[in-house]
Amino acid sequence: MSTDLHCTTSELLSVLLARDLCDGEKAIVGTNSDVQVAACNLARNMHAPTLWWVSGPGGMVNADDGVIRPTADHRNLACCEAVMDLPQMIDFIDWEIHFFDFAILGALQIDRFGNINTVCVGPHSKPKLRGPGTVGIAALTALSKRFYVVMPKHHRGAFVERVDFLNGPGHLDGGTTRTDRGLPAGGPKLVVSNLGVFDFEPSTKRMRIISLHPGVTVDQVQANTGFEMLVEGAPPVTMAPTAEEMQILRQKVDSTGVLRSAA
Amino acid sequence: MSKIKSISEAIDVIKPGMTVATGGWIFNAQPMALVREIVRKEIKHLTLIPAPGSIAPDMLIGAGAVKTTGCIFISFEQFGLAPNFRKAAETGSIGILEMDGPAIAGGLRAGACDLPYGLIPDMCTDLPDVNPEYYQPVQSAPGERRMLKVPAIKPDVVLLHAQQADELGNVQYRAPVFFDILMAQAARHVIVSVDRIVSHETVRKSHALTRLPSAFVDAVVEAPFGAHPTVSAGFYDLDEKHIADYVKASADASAFDEYLSSYVRKCAGPAEYHKKIGSPAFLDA
Repeated sequence: MSTDLHCTTSELLSVLLARDLCDGEKAIVGTNSDVQVAACNLARNMHAPTLWWVSGPGGMVNADDGVIRPTADHRNLACCEAVMDLPQMIDFIDWEIHFFDFAILGALQIDRFGNINTVCVGPHSKPKLRGPGTVGIAALTALSKRFYVVMPKHHRGAFVERVDFLNGPGHLDGGTTRTDRGLPAGGPKLVVSNLGVFDFEPSTKRMRIISLHPGVTVDQVQANTGFEMLVEGAPPVTMAPTAEEMQILRQKVDSTGVLRSAA
Repeated sequence: MSKIKSISEAIDVIKPGMTVATGGWIFNAQPMALVREIVRKEIKHLTLIPAPGSIAPDMLIGAGAVKTTGCIFISFEQFGLAPNFRKAAETGSIGILEMDGPAIAGGLRAGACDLPYGLIPDMCTDLPDVNPEYYQPVQSAPGERRMLKVPAIKPDVVLLHAQQADELGNVQYRAPVFFDILMAQAARHVIVSVDRIVSHETVRKSHALTRLPSAFVDAVVEAPFGAHPTVSAGFYDLDEKHIADYVKASADASAFDEYLSSYVRKCAGPAEYHKKIGSPAFLDA
């Protein structure tokens, strides 16, 4: 897939996300988030010059000097326009519903209703795989206007019927259960993986295929997904990154090639 | 009166069974010199409340100092999952208090303000199921937003690392302070390691950097490269090779013991550790 597109999966996912981000929006970016930073800064360099993003862990605002680095890296202090204190940011995340327009997150598992898990695979008391924990994920998935999930490796263990531990609420049990249980509307908008782009069918809130990356088939997605993925007709092929997108990404956003050397 | 203490004297206040918080954030300002002293002193049975961290909680867990740990986020980011934390969680050898950012922030705020608990929105997660003591339901009227209460967090001791301080205990940061200030306000006893001691005059001339005034600080320990292998902003960057070596050593019990032996037990304190890692200089002193 990546060879056909002349870019890495990380670059492709950055471009796909950037296209969906809008000028003037406010976002928060967490840890271990090269793709997230790239998506925000690519959007800023293209159609969304006033997109505003803050490093969740570091507090730096709009760090953008053409190099992708961990968001809390102190070198981002030298290329940001403000630094917010963490407790101040927690106020915006937790108590001011919908201050943030979007968040972009990764996960160990995502389920058919877009709930995510970064805590553990298997039972919490005796996990098969212990993940890093929740940090701001519960609040961001619950309270930002929408969220995106980046899943660079699409497989049955990652796309599951029901997450083993729900620490990032998506559409909970589907249908209207998210709002029924008191969460604001919103939830997961898109899931991007190395196989395709996915959203959630508006009434059942089940995950469905929007587009497949070049060379990927519906069967291949289904074989690598632990639940029945909704398919409507023949899904289109994902629009490949344009020459302009790739040029700006590689020259202005990721000039040192962090995403090129990633998977 | 000077608040500067030797590392041994500073850490002597920590007794088995205490609740100890650690500051910093992932690979930023992990209070490693203080952590290494806990390992050297073989203090055990601690309840740990780490701010989202990496090698500080991981080393304490790997060295057997921890009975129960809070987990907001313990990660080695680009180096993978936290090796010793992961092993301990998967074998069930320590207790885990699963928490999220709102719960620790709400709990610390309540602790700092001397309130019995904080309030956070109910985000419909599984966290209350595995940690019912920290996430307690609150009665809400129909149509009212659903909330949870989180008990005040009041650590017995908090361990922090900052760039510099004077002998009065005015602590200066050249970096974001993360949860450090909130933790210092909530904790009963505050120990800070700093890369260098500066004069009181220097502090007065640059008082905007003093994020932790002396009244909040009980002990200051001089520890050049006291956050190593993590970052001390402006003074040294992440030692990626050291982190990678630590992760590698953690895969095997005897290799990890050898790591602890050479970098912790055989170094009497921060000065010896600094020498052990090759006496590097500060980037920007």
